[in-house]
Amino acid sequence: MENEVKDHKNIFYPPGGILIWIIIFLELITFGIALIALVFYSKEDPTLFHDSRLQLNITFGTINTVFLLTSGFFMANTVHELKQNHQLKAQKYLLITMLFGVLFLVLKLVEYNAKLDAGLTMGSNTFFTFYWMLTLFHVIHVIVGLVILISVYIGINKKNSTTKMEDVEASAAFWHMCDLIWLLLFPVIYLIF
Amino acid sequence: MTEQNISTWLLLLILTVLAGLISSVNFAYTVPLILLLAVLKFMGVAFSFMEIKKANPFWKLLIMSFLVIFCGIIIVAL
Repeated sequence: MENEVKDHKNIFYPPGGILIWIIIFLELITFGIALIALVFYSKEDPTLFHDSRLQLNITFGTINTVFLLTSGFFMANTVHELKQNHQLKAQKYLLITMLFGVLFLVLKLVEYNAKLDAGLTMGSNTFFTFYWMLTLFHVIHVIVGLVILISVYIGINKKNSTTKMEDVEASAAFWHMCDLIWLLLFPVIYLIF
Repeated sequence: MTEQNISTWLLLLILTVLAGLISSVNFAYTVPLILLLAVLKFMGVAFSFMEIKKANPFWKLLIMSFLVIFCGIIIVAL
């Protein structure tokens, strides 16, 4: 594995590279605007939003937050171990990272199933339109992140790997972005109304 | 594993449970407190796990600006 470490103090070389950070900010702004729109819509019918929010499972949301944060923790450790040239440890941590990502998706499926059984679909009301659109959009990001991590895992497993440290850092940054988005979605959708 | 990653992770878990507990109590500062905890978690992930603390101050400023604008609008709008 090519282990060239960039000087991150240079404005053009944030950890993971400038391109992934442009993507991260675009994503954060997109989700941020949608969440602000949700809050503005809630002013039209606060009772509806409060009652709808109470139909969400905060325990599931909290456990999912723990899953993503734990996954992010192991991702950070994966990058650290790769920088130390501890290949085996990094591979193990990357697998655990992906495991917690999968656990997040499984619990989300359980949550979605319960909502559909209760008849709470995208067309139920404005709150649930936002709930489904924002959480599904986030789930798509998690799935894309998992695909990226699988490709990193295959890449660093090769004997004569050409995977660069910056590629791993960029993939890690994308994965952490899923955490960041969830850390905005969870309080606004599940807790504040 | 670094000690800093472990301590950040533990702190993030504590803040997550705390946010869940605070949301079940209804008092005047519930929403600002929940948002404050979310901001702290966001900073924990960005600065520690994503290593933005090692980056140029421009990126730190950008992250903090986003958080201030986002939370500011949410609090004013609510």
